[in-house]
Amino acid sequence: MPIRDYYLLSPEISLASIAMAVILLDTVVKRKGLLAIFTLAALALPLAFTISLWGEEGRAFGGLLIVDQFSIFFKFLFLGVTAAVVIASQDSVTNFKRFQGEFYALLLLATSGLMLMSSTGELITIFLALELSTLSAIALVTFFKTDQAVEAGIKYLVLSGISSAMMLYGMALVFGVSGSTRLEEIAQAVGTTRLLDNPALLMGMLLMVAGFGFKISSVPFQMWVPDVYQGAPTSVAAYLSVASKAGGFAVILRVFYVAFAGVSMEWSMLFAVLAVVSMTFGNLIAMFQSNIKRLLAYSTIAHAGYMMVGLAAVAARNPIGEGLGTQGLLFYLTGYAFTNLGAFFVVIAVAQKLKGESIDDFAGLAKRSPLLAGLLALCLISLTGLPPTVGFWAKLYLFSGAVQADLVWLAVAGVLNSAISAYYYLRVVKAMYMSPAASDERLTPSPAISLALLVTTGGVLFFGFAPSYLLDFAVRAARGFPG
Amino acid sequence: MHQFGFIAIFMVLAVLVPVSMLLIPYALTLAGIKPHRPDKVKNDTYECGVRTVGGSWVRFNFRYYYFALSFLIFDVEAVFLFPWAVHARQLHWFGFGAVLVFVAIITVGLAYEWRKKALEWK
Amino acid sequence: MNVGVAASIAFWIMAIIAVVSALAVIVTRDIFRAALFLILAFLTVAGLFITLSADFVAAVQVLVYGGAISILLIFAVLLTRDVQKGNPSNRMLKPAVFLGALFAATLIVVITNSTWKLSGDSPPQGTTAAIGDALVNSYVLPFEIASVLLLAAMIGAIVVARGRDE
Repeated sequence: MPIRDYYLLSPEISLASIAMAVILLDTVVKRKGLLAIFTLAALALPLAFTISLWGEEGRAFGGLLIVDQFSIFFKFLFLGVTAAVVIASQDSVTNFKRFQGEFYALLLLATSGLMLMSSTGELITIFLALELSTLSAIALVTFFKTDQAVEAGIKYLVLSGISSAMMLYGMALVFGVSGSTRLEEIAQAVGTTRLLDNPALLMGMLLMVAGFGFKISSVPFQMWVPDVYQGAPTSVAAYLSVASKAGGFAVILRVFYVAFAGVSMEWSMLFAVLAVVSMTFGNLIAMFQSNIKRLLAYSTIAHAGYMMVGLAAVAARNPIGEGLGTQGLLFYLTGYAFTNLGAFFVVIAVAQKLKGESIDDFAGLAKRSPLLAGLLALCLISLTGLPPTVGFWAKLYLFSGAVQADLVWLAVAGVLNSAISAYYYLRVVKAMYMSPAASDERLTPSPAISLALLVTTGGVLFFGFAPSYLLDFAVRAARGFPG
Repeated sequence: MHQFGFIAIFMVLAVLVPVSMLLIPYALTLAGIKPHRPDKVKNDTYECGVRTVGGSWVRFNFRYYYFALSFLIFDVEAVFLFPWAVHARQLHWFGFGAVLVFVAIITVGLAYEWRKKALEWK
Repeated sequence: MNVGVAASIAFWIMAIIAVVSALAVIVTRDIFRAALFLILAFLTVAGLFITLSADFVAAVQVLVYGGAISILLIFAVLLTRDVQKGNPSNRMLKPAVFLGALFAATLIVVITNSTWKLSGDSPPQGTTAAIGDALVNSYVLPFEIASVLLLAAMIGAIVVARGRDE
């Protein structure tokens, strides 16, 4: 193997090595607070490798590793999210005497799994990378070991096990039909077969969608979402809603784009239907939630629906991938990352002081901490998709991609759903600004969470006013894809 | 493939012998050769001649589970190493390097378990 | 009797044992017996792999499932409270049976009606060396990911199984 192969894999190698360094350090270092700082500082290493890879194209390890602008875009996203989550988890993790290194190590291992997912074109590698991220996430969900956390962990474990089994069965069927696990060879074998002529292919595709659908929390694979988000540490819930979901979309894009390009019309329809069902289900149930984490959980199901509009738009074009679909989806994923992390971080900041996560706890927040209330309002406006936030541009690009692909009905469904979602997002805003506060005591967020909030909400505002920077980035990432 | 035929024959014998052990006394009873007079002492659990005390369902120490989990992980590791080991010379230094990295990563886990005292019986 | 006929007789015997013991796992109320039936199913599946000329996979099945997973299962049963009470009955039984049957029927229809890509080569005699070659050459990336996955499993197991107060 030439040296260049290792260079192309260097972000993942360095990230996994840092994870190992963190757990080994954890066993010798007495002051555990240093671990977070070490993790954060060391993240600069994979980041530097990823930056130096920007602009490179290549394959390594016999074609199993694919480095292109698309995968590098996702690597930036995952590294950024991980750094933000590390900062935001600091306060809650330092409460543990003995188990701190594990938290950061598992987080880094999960991220290296996600990074591998975004840059491989082979089914066995995809499966292993996906399991790496899921397995680490299960341990993270259970981390606090409260009754709720254990329940959440068990649900996540069992349901992810079932969905992985289904996905693996699907991969086996696709292998049986095509005789290969490499996406390009599958594409050659599949060609433009009509799916009903070869039902095993259809079945294999559907079962794989079940596995990936679990990752992106789309209906009907969303059962775990509310309970897991509620029971997991809030920062882990934020990580799952953003990074895990982006990883799922990266894999779906690559697998369906490359292997099933010949039958793109069929899966365009499949994702269009899932999109409408997901967003409607998420939004309708979210209206009746009283716990803010459950509300955000149903909101994330709805957003998976919006994002699948992008998938449908990608596939409905001829030739596949022409137009705004891919870049719209990439833009949306990034914008959603900034916004949703910001919202979850405000929840962390409030819950640290008030020990409560119900929407009533946010009543009168505007008086007790105008800054936190303002930032949460900003994030909720961005989730609704109103200007001047990044969420507005994200929805604009995504839905115009759908219109461009002649899926006007899908764009209309998306807009209608955004209107419904305004109701429950703004209900929280109303509680913060119009309801009386339980006490007049001021709330000041801790330094760590303030920093995390500064970064994420800063992104929401900055890209809200200047979306072109992010869009250029997404356009470049989408251009060479699938490469 | 046909070597597995011997294993199949072995398996069949391994099932037949104990099953026939169970069937012979039953057949002898039916034939009226063996008397059938159960009583309390005969039906008692035999525990090395000592009288049995309490139920046999005791909850085991949770520590066992740690060891079972570690055992599983190292078992899987052995499975991965085995196909390389039977063929190690033909796979040259690159194969050796790949396996070395594999073992090193698992060793990090072992060192961690050791330092966290997960391998101790306390 | 030639080898092919013997192999297909062995296949059908083991297939029947595998399916029956898998059914017994869900029908048996006693969890301990269910675990033993599951182990029987694992072992017969190993036999099925042999009839498919996948000798290494069969050995793995015996080693990992017949050995380690069985031990884990038995430990888990022994660690469970109120094991003697057995599996509680479940009102989801009927829908579950219906969905399971539907899924099985769909799969049978799918498998019998599809065109599969078949290799014309005769099955290899002894697959272990070929698998070893694939693991460290063409599939070295997933091979190393597997070791990282095992590491994550080790850390995760300790985090999840630790005492509540730590």
